[in-house]
Amino acid sequence: MTAVRLLLAKDLRVLRRSPALLAALVLYPLLVALLVGLVVRFASDQPRVALVDLDGLPQALTIAGERFDVENVIEQVNDKAELVPMSEEEAERQLETGEVTAAIVIPRGFAAKLRGMVESPELVLRLGRGGLASRFELQTEALVFRLNRLLQEAYIAANLEYVTLLVEGGEADFLGEEFDVVGLDEAGRLLDELRDRTDDPEALDQIDELDNFVGEARLALEQTDETLRATANPIQLRTDREAGRTWLLGAQLQAIALALTLSFVCVLLTAGAIAAERDENVVGRLVRGLVGLRELVTAKVLLGAVIALALGLVLALVFGVATEVGGVDGGQPWSRLPLLALGLLLAGAAFGAFGVLLGVLARESRAAVLVAFLVTLPLVLIGVIPSASVPVAGWISAVFPFAHAVDFFESALFALDPWREVGIATLWLLGLTVAFATAARMGVRRFLA
Amino acid sequence: MPDVTALLSGRGIARSFGRHAALEPTDLDVRGGEVLGLVGPNGAGKSTLVSILAGALSPDSGTVVHADPAPRVGWVPQRPAQYGRLTPRENLELFARLEGVSEPEAVAGRLVELVELPDDGRLTAELSLGNQQRLNLAVALLADPDVLLLDEPTSSLDPRQRRRFWELARAVRERGGAVVFVTQNLEELERFADRVVVLLDGRLVFDGSAEEYARSPEADVFA
Repeated sequence: MTAVRLLLAKDLRVLRRSPALLAALVLYPLLVALLVGLVVRFASDQPRVALVDLDGLPQALTIAGERFDVENVIEQVNDKAELVPMSEEEAERQLETGEVTAAIVIPRGFAAKLRGMVESPELVLRLGRGGLASRFELQTEALVFRLNRLLQEAYIAANLEYVTLLVEGGEADFLGEEFDVVGLDEAGRLLDELRDRTDDPEALDQIDELDNFVGEARLALEQTDETLRATANPIQLRTDREAGRTWLLGAQLQAIALALTLSFVCVLLTAGAIAAERDENVVGRLVRGLVGLRELVTAKVLLGAVIALALGLVLALVFGVATEVGGVDGGQPWSRLPLLALGLLLAGAAFGAFGVLLGVLARESRAAVLVAFLVTLPLVLIGVIPSASVPVAGWISAVFPFAHAVDFFESALFALDPWREVGIATLWLLGLTVAFATAARMGVRRFLA
Repeated sequence: MPDVTALLSGRGIARSFGRHAALEPTDLDVRGGEVLGLVGPNGAGKSTLVSILAGALSPDSGTVVHADPAPRVGWVPQRPAQYGRLTPRENLELFARLEGVSEPEAVAGRLVELVELPDDGRLTAELSLGNQQRLNLAVALLADPDVLLLDEPTSSLDPRQRRRFWELARAVRERGGAVVFVTQNLEELERFADRVVVLLDGRLVFDGSAEEYARSPEADVFA
């Protein structure tokens, strides 16, 4: 191990002499991590959606006595999507060409059915095949849910008016017909008058029976308000907006930023470092009994691990300070740093082994760095794609350390019970390190040709 | 039969790169107390032979046999083999440690003075080619070698540095060691070689004393 230690110390000394390179290697992936975060956070925020109004909705609709401002409703949607009014044919065309993510179609007779309160009108949502379509479907469902809540309130209020009419009596109209309702209160009073005017025991019994019914009916109808609301909304959702973590300091973004930075730095550095041994013509000198090829590969893998540990801890410190200064809920899990350090070493070794393999294949250091960059960029981007959505991305990510590093960091820092996830990620990272390092060891013989 | 006086012997050593046979099966003994000149046109297999003798390249077939006790072998490759982002002294200290030399700092300091290397903190990559070649030689001298294998060692040196270089090489021979040097320089060959080996298209075509070589048809071919 002396030879490995000496080569590692040499590489670190060489690295220390290139601060600009090191800074670029650290800052560039951090910038990419920030951009990825921004893309993930905002990319799907405002999809372009066609609005096809076949019914010619008026500016305002009055339903069950409640006035609904149509423009206001459209404004609510505009928070989540860019609604573009257009004809049905144009919407069809733009949906096919992908110019719009979805089309909301308001069919003919929509407003009339809504006002009639007899039949539920349909709002048609046509979705394209883009990745944002399913997200917009959820947003539209949420909008329809909110509209239904508003209408429900209006319908309940209207129904309660009828209940109040039944209890208190008065004039009313239903489906355009006006009529007088006596009401239970008045019915009770009339029954009291009838009771005073008769001595017929049979009539008095009937009056008592009717009076009991009126009393029970009034009692029951007085409970209608709460019962109606409860049956209309068996479960109510209450949303509490807490201070919480900003997305910038969120667990996933921290883990992704760490893994992304380390993947670029470690892969590029180790690829360049192993190829530089050949560029400097020293491999022949080393293998003359001074350093074995296995030791040469091991030294570069360890270089990745050491750089990952140092850089990862600095980044974790920066995130932690930002979290504490920002007073973010939950704070930074400082007690988890030792576990994170283990993850950094494992991830750095895996990235390092992958970089060594690329460097061995590329042979020349400039080519190695270029190849490492070209290979790493798509691999980390694939690693950000949720495997549940695109299984192929998951399969590809499985054979590259990035996704496993993200899993390890996220669990190590933020999971209540991290051990299972950490264990799985550890096995993956160790396995990938051994596989890449073995392949690199076999390939490094090419340096002697 | 191996020469019992040989410090280093190649037996049937051969090497190909892809389909190109760089060195046909070759026997060569390197004896103590001699300076062996290795000549031949470009691509004749000289560097391949020296690299295999040095242990920097594995032969496809054949073996390299060392005397008992095994001699210490120093190798100066044609292209300098050292780290450009380290200073000459750091290079020497690193390779001294890898060689297992005791007191690596002291040995490195002595060699910096011996081969007159700049010691002003400049990185090796910033040095002239001549200075880089001198460092190349200094690294080969770290282990106090019994056999010095030199691949066109003086091609980048000025006359004064060449003289200094040959003084160092002769010192190895004078204490019973061997020097093998690849050269394209006939003057150096005539002046310093005790024995000459000629390679042509990967085959050894002449192995004899410098005098024999001077009278041989191979000398005319090479000239």
